[in-house]
Amino acid sequence: MTSRSFGVIDLSWWQLSLALGLVLVVAAISLRERLGLERDLLFGAVRTIVQLYLVGLILAAVFSAARWYWVLLILVAMAAIATHAAVYRLAKPIPGVYWIAATALTLSTAATLTYVIGMVIEPRPWWEPQYLIPIAGMILGNSMTSAALAGDRLQSDLFARRDEVEARLALGFSGRDAVQPLVRAALRAAMIPTVNGMMTVGIVQLPGMMTGQILAGASPLTAIRYQIVVVFMMAVATAIGIPAVRATRGGPIFDSRTSATAVPTLSWSTL
Amino acid sequence: MLFPEHMRDAIFQVEHLSLVYPARRGQAAARILDDVSVDVDRGSALILVGPSGSGKSSLLRCLNRLEEPTTGVVCFDGRPIPEFDPRELRRRAALVLQTPVLFEGTVRDNLTVHAPDATLDVSERRLREALTEVGLDGAMLERDAAVLSGGERQRVTIARALLRDPTALLLDEPTSALDPPNAILIVETICRLRDTRGLTIVAVTHTPELVRRLGGALLYLVKGRVQAYEPVNDGGVIDERLQAFLAGTHR
Repeated sequence: MTSRSFGVIDLSWWQLSLALGLVLVVAAISLRERLGLERDLLFGAVRTIVQLYLVGLILAAVFSAARWYWVLLILVAMAAIATHAAVYRLAKPIPGVYWIAATALTLSTAATLTYVIGMVIEPRPWWEPQYLIPIAGMILGNSMTSAALAGDRLQSDLFARRDEVEARLALGFSGRDAVQPLVRAALRAAMIPTVNGMMTVGIVQLPGMMTGQILAGASPLTAIRYQIVVVFMMAVATAIGIPAVRATRGGPIFDSRTSATAVPTLSWSTL
Repeated sequence: MLFPEHMRDAIFQVEHLSLVYPARRGQAAARILDDVSVDVDRGSALILVGPSGSGKSSLLRCLNRLEEPTTGVVCFDGRPIPEFDPRELRRRAALVLQTPVLFEGTVRDNLTVHAPDATLDVSERRLREALTEVGLDGAMLERDAAVLSGGERQRVTIARALLRDPTALLLDEPTSALDPPNAILIVETICRLRDTRGLTIVAVTHTPELVRRLGGALLYLVKGRVQAYEPVNDGGVIDERLQAFLAGTHR
């Protein structure tokens, strides 16, 4: 059943179903320890299979079609889904958060991708999906997590540090200036996993891309070179998100009735 | 209402103010303030009393636009407050919160804190004077704000407001987080400021001492509606409901 192509062991359906056995082990533990996770596990497992198969089919189609506009369309779809995933868990919506997240994710990914594809890796043609899609995916995935962290932190701080914000407003700060320290704290929090990740990369666990390349038969030395590019690119993509957030000038966080200098929106007392 | 029209010099004029929080996420709409009208004359005091949840703090916060009324008008110094730059308005009608907020740094840092786009030009002498005005020692300037006592913290926040030359002080339960001796010190400070600076004071308070010493007028709110509005004469009031409420807080 096992076939070899490009030095990679192709997995058969039978081998996949053996992997499914791992999920059953988790389900058994969950049942025994009464974690109540069986339903979610089952749903998650089914979703993993269906989702990845669909992605595989779509990617295979795009790879064989080899047209730049299909690749671009995939990138746009990825950015849209990343934006949604970054913000939808916020318990109470920060006004305009979709707009802020979309701007930050799109700008940071586009800028980083342009540099890495255009000047570092230089595939021919530039839109070669084999490079463009996985690299965009890594940038987006990382930035998405950062954006979610920043949003979550900002939101909880807007409650926890409400007195502090109001004290600044009462001292004549504009709304934007009054929340500045909170925005800064949120952006710092967003950067921390990336910066920490740079410290332990490859030691605690082999990063996904490196693992993939090694499994695919690339030499570890080639894999680490790519990984170095990837780590730096993720850091810069997260950082570029910061001026992007700033570019929106925190505007949406403030009540339009009273312009940029006024009342923090989350009409505090209603929350 | 309390005085003939020609004698008035109102700093705040509140007309038919209502504040409604719209329904959201399964919560019904809430009417916080309901058709409140009140005037505060220059140099006088208005004390807001009422059970918790009656809208006292919200009314106070409508005066410097930390809340936007749903309907109605608030005038400050003769002009509707939306005509002011909110930053200017908030400097002139300075809010002191129940829990004093001090930022990281020394007392000096806290007194001179200002928005990045603003300047606050104060001499060393004025800083010390502001501390003296609230009954603190000028030598305290270099102290770390984090080590101050509750009473000291509250007085620093008042001094910080004074350095901005406000016309009015808005006090949201300024003494309720303090022990009685410190509360009395704050009451004395506030009353002295009213006399020496001619400050207009609007205060939410449950401290009978502050009610008695400040004088002025009392506004009794229940569920966002004005139940009684009358001058305080020697600490005494006429309205029975107000008497009963104050008697409750005196207990």
